[in-house]
Amino acid sequence: MTRRRVVAAIAAFGLLPAVFSFHAPAYAQAYPAKPITLIVPWPAGGSTDISMRAIAKGAEKHLGQPVIVDNKGGASGTLGPATMAATAKPDGYTISQIPITIFRLPLMKNQKVSWNPDTDFTYIVHLTGYAFAVGVRGESPFKKWQDVVDFAKANPGKVSYGTPGAGTSLHIGMELIAGQSGIQLTHVPFKGDGEQRAAVLGGHIDMAVGGSGLVPFVADGTMRALMIWTKERAKAWPDVPTLKDLGYPWVFDSPFGIAGPKGMDPKHVQILHDAFKKSLDDPETLAVLDKFFMVPNYADQKGYLEIIKQTTAYEKQALERIGLAK
Amino acid sequence: MEILSALGHGFAVALQPINLMACFFGVFIGTLVGVLPGIGPVSAMALLLPVTLSGSPEAGIIMMAGIYYGSMYGGSTTSILVNIPGEAASVITCLDGHQMAKNGRAGPALGIAAIGSFVAGTFAIVALMLVAPWLAKFAIAFGPPEYFSLMVLGLTVLAFLTQGSMAKSLLMACVGVTLGLVGIDQITAAPRLTFDRLELLDGVGLIPVVMGLFGVAEILANIERSVQREVVSARIGSLWPTLQDWAYSKWAIARGTILGFFLGILPGGGAVISSFASYALERRLSKRPEMFGKGAIEGVAGPEAANNSAAGGAFIPLLTLGIPPNVVMALLLGAFIIHGIQPGPLLITQNPGIFWGIVASMYIGNIMLLILNFPLIGMWVQVLKVPYKLLFPLILMFCIVGVFSSGSAVFDVFVMTVFGLIGYLMRKFGYEPAPLVLAFVLGPMVENNLRKSLILSQGDFSVFIERPISLACLIVAAAMILAPLLPVLRAKREAVALDQE
Repeated sequence: MTRRRVVAAIAAFGLLPAVFSFHAPAYAQAYPAKPITLIVPWPAGGSTDISMRAIAKGAEKHLGQPVIVDNKGGASGTLGPATMAATAKPDGYTISQIPITIFRLPLMKNQKVSWNPDTDFTYIVHLTGYAFAVGVRGESPFKKWQDVVDFAKANPGKVSYGTPGAGTSLHIGMELIAGQSGIQLTHVPFKGDGEQRAAVLGGHIDMAVGGSGLVPFVADGTMRALMIWTKERAKAWPDVPTLKDLGYPWVFDSPFGIAGPKGMDPKHVQILHDAFKKSLDDPETLAVLDKFFMVPNYADQKGYLEIIKQTTAYEKQALERIGLAK
Repeated sequence: MEILSALGHGFAVALQPINLMACFFGVFIGTLVGVLPGIGPVSAMALLLPVTLSGSPEAGIIMMAGIYYGSMYGGSTTSILVNIPGEAASVITCLDGHQMAKNGRAGPALGIAAIGSFVAGTFAIVALMLVAPWLAKFAIAFGPPEYFSLMVLGLTVLAFLTQGSMAKSLLMACVGVTLGLVGIDQITAAPRLTFDRLELLDGVGLIPVVMGLFGVAEILANIERSVQREVVSARIGSLWPTLQDWAYSKWAIARGTILGFFLGILPGGGAVISSFASYALERRLSKRPEMFGKGAIEGVAGPEAANNSAAGGAFIPLLTLGIPPNVVMALLLGAFIIHGIQPGPLLITQNPGIFWGIVASMYIGNIMLLILNFPLIGMWVQVLKVPYKLLFPLILMFCIVGVFSSGSAVFDVFVMTVFGLIGYLMRKFGYEPAPLVLAFVLGPMVENNLRKSLILSQGDFSVFIERPISLACLIVAAAMILAPLLPVLRAKREAVALDQE
């Protein structure tokens, strides 16, 4: 119930250029002729918000219009896109970040959702994903991932791991990994990344599965990263193996891109696609993404749908394993 | 000595004109959003977050921090004057603060709130400076079993919030717990009581509920009896606390400060719970418990000190562990990261300018707040003279704007309206909203930590008594519940209950 924020003032700033463009001969102007609203369905100040703001800023340069970020958090990041799908005009002036939960929630049991991810959106461009890692306390006897596997094989259920919530990408990923290794781990869902990190530091749980919040703790030795779930190793952590290095055939990065309501003009989609794609090459954008260990993972509309197809397949399998599938 | 030279360096940073301005702007905005019901520090900080991008990291973070602790100062103002909390953390201040205002003592109530806030704020900064790393260890010593027992202890506070019927109060607590169940269950990810509404997946928001139950309901209730109330509010009386007030308040402030500080450090604890706890503690310890709910100044001084030192304490896990203990701190964490600074164990060594600059700016900010707030007391009290036909629509407008801005969701405005009507009916039939709010805040934490503890202990309940912190909390909780049953203490509690009617 905490993910709520405002953007009224930013919207007010946004109105300013809108007023000016009113005086210009609007009919002669090509798309985009006014500011574009980008819904970020997460709270202001979080990693998604900060990275999306950076990407949007890079895209502005090529669009020639401001991109106004509207933080509309709630329902695991689905409320914003779902509201857009239901109410926004497909005129290219309202687009949204699309978190993986848009595809996951419809697969989960007990969830009735108002949207259909296959038909309710116009996918524009795939952008990036998160860097997730598994960390233990500095004093932990687990020096590498194999130690966890060996210990858990001998002591089923004795190794606990925290995540920022049940049914998150981190929970799902960890269960898939445990299933593949033939071990049983105890999952303890926390409210957010910070709480579970505190629980690991205090020795209440054995491992934290979280985002880039681990970075400073690994840097000063209070925590140790056992693995990272990105495609490539992180520059700052050359010794931390990826899932592929450990023999698991996956990349779990909760990939995300942007989409608009269904029925957008393909020309508008192309313009937005090009601008956001260019932003992913912008050093300023990259510098911000780097703070969160994020790397661009560009894909066009077709590639985006392909990524979704693959991810949905994994997730279905994982949800079945943890008993959350429909 | 090392600390002094570091602090000196901090002041050098904080006293740079740009940072001084940022600090003033922050505490000024903070006071303002604190005073305005519904609009809280979260909305203000989220709005101003993009603004901080352009300046230096010091200025941005000093300003954001100022908004937070500034809002804790301002929150009591509307609680006292019009019985509508400016912040969720000031809910409890309504009970005695507004009674004081009705008795013509709005000035002393505002004064003691400002002084208590100042003392508590200063204490929190000194503690942050001297013992932050040690206190960080205290924060992480709390695992799920400790939280569970602490929250159970928190629920016993209910017994001291009740002014009338205990049965009604328990009923309200049950409503609060049920409301807390709404949303996705954190352990199994199953939606509960959401009726397939997407808006309810994250649960019912605290701000709309509080603004409805206190703000809208208060206005509705006043519409029927505004004639009598205007007579009451015309008497304003002395603006300053008397010596007698001091005698009652000084220990309340001291206890509230310490209690609030420790609860503030704990992730999930924070200003709301600490203000409730302080009120209960003061009522428990008071030699005149019968005065509580009728304008006991210690019932204002303690909670206001507690919520301010909790605000200060909340910086500790953020700055030393990089763990934000509440939403506001999560926003501040965002501000740090935007500037490429990662709060955490390395902050003090890697960015001493930032750490000590913030600490120093908090000293300066607290003094600014005191200077800002004292002359304003006279002005705020004049608010009582504003005709209600103008004041109420204005307050209602602020409530709507504030609730909308906290989540930019119209749904929240509906929630507030519904709870406004419920709150109005509750008043009519003698049900109090404070137990509902407390149970609403604590209920989900109790449930969640109980289940997490049992997952970790594989179903073994002994985990709660084997761990010393948890055991201590449970013992105190048991003592709180059993004490009223003992004959000596019982007489006192009855005196309290009888007198309140």
